[in-house]
Amino acid sequence: MKPAVFEYFSPQTAEEAVALLGEYGDDAKVLAGGQSLVPLMNMRLARPAVVVDINRIESLAYIRDEDGGLRFGALTRQRAAERSPLVAARCPLLRDALRLVGHVQIRNRGTIGGSIAHADPAAELTAVLAALDGEVTARGPQGDRVISARELFVTYLTTSLEPRELLVEARFPAPPHGAGWSWMEVARRHGDFALAGVGTVLVLRRGMIADARIGLIGVGPTPVRAAEAERGLIGQSPSEALWEAAAEAVRGAVSPDGDIHASAEYRRHVAGVLAQRALRESLSRVQEAA
Amino acid sequence: MKLEGTNTLPAPVETVWKTINDPEALRRCTPGLKELKEVGPDTYQATLQIGVAAVKGTYAGTLAITDKRAPAHYKISLDGSGGAGFMKGEGIVDLEPHGDGTLLKWAGDIQIGGLIAGVGQRMLGGIGKMLIGQFFKCLEDYVGGGE
Repeated sequence: MKPAVFEYFSPQTAEEAVALLGEYGDDAKVLAGGQSLVPLMNMRLARPAVVVDINRIESLAYIRDEDGGLRFGALTRQRAAERSPLVAARCPLLRDALRLVGHVQIRNRGTIGGSIAHADPAAELTAVLAALDGEVTARGPQGDRVISARELFVTYLTTSLEPRELLVEARFPAPPHGAGWSWMEVARRHGDFALAGVGTVLVLRRGMIADARIGLIGVGPTPVRAAEAERGLIGQSPSEALWEAAAEAVRGAVSPDGDIHASAEYRRHVAGVLAQRALRESLSRVQEAA
Repeated sequence: MKLEGTNTLPAPVETVWKTINDPEALRRCTPGLKELKEVGPDTYQATLQIGVAAVKGTYAGTLAITDKRAPAHYKISLDGSGGAGFMKGEGIVDLEPHGDGTLLKWAGDIQIGGLIAGVGQRMLGGIGKMLIGQFFKCLEDYVGGGE
């Protein structure tokens, strides 16, 4: 399998990359880790006229702990984030979600920014970004703008990034110290795209739930934030009955599509089951930390 | 892959019937339509460029309207192929008066094969539904705003 003919650019700086995107716009695709784009090109399902390879832009690979959150340069490899002690200490939910992104070989090349910009509805990072109220910085001909996760994901493989914009940074606000978390998903085989997946965060204060986050993948065109389920948890004291109610609210919040791998009903059911288990695990981690 | 849905259009059944038989409305509202050529009564040759993000394919094929029972029912058949795969589908459209407007019910069965089906299986149903939704949303605007 070989891709169709394309013109290749390898800019050395983000500014050069943005200038190229400004020139070619819709005809260009940004190549980061290439773990989704290259197979699509090789199968000729994607035929961009121009490829802007950002792999030489070293200044786009970094992990920083700033302003209560983790900032990732778009080119940061998923594996680097997964193994970062900083990520483990500040946002273990992200680390656990990263462990289930494809396989190790994929994560060695795949980038944080690439996965988010590709916006696959089963991409773990999208739900973590949504659950933590994260945001990305897009750089375009007019300069930088910040896009919240809520505004970023539009539909299947589609974000609100303009064709002339380069995603340069992703910011994941870190849950407070002592928060519990869990990432769970069901896939047909390890490394496959999840049929459904969920990430949760629980914060307790004096035995009551002070904050709850639930983000899901694989159950709709974009990552889903189960806001109503979260509201039902906040202010309550944790219990099995509460998790069950949250699971029911999660099932009500998702509208999955069925395919040959799993029916819509199955995905909806599993989303609830996983949410329930993830909340249970989150609570046990709160208690371990205390 | 079976898909179905309903839409409420702000116009009487007769107007909606005319619109869904009007090549101009079909031309304006079919997502990704590049070319629509009438090759016979109720038979068209179409070129479509559809997909999401970078995954776009061009498909050429025929579209035919049969089983017409004016002003309430027809069948639409679609047959096309392109570099990324092929598709074949049939849809039934039924119109019913609904207050001052029209309730449009559609149900279809689409088979998609080839490369795109192998790779895109996870998303095909959802994307199909999204594109059909765009089509009817556009018709809604067409009958609502056009006259």
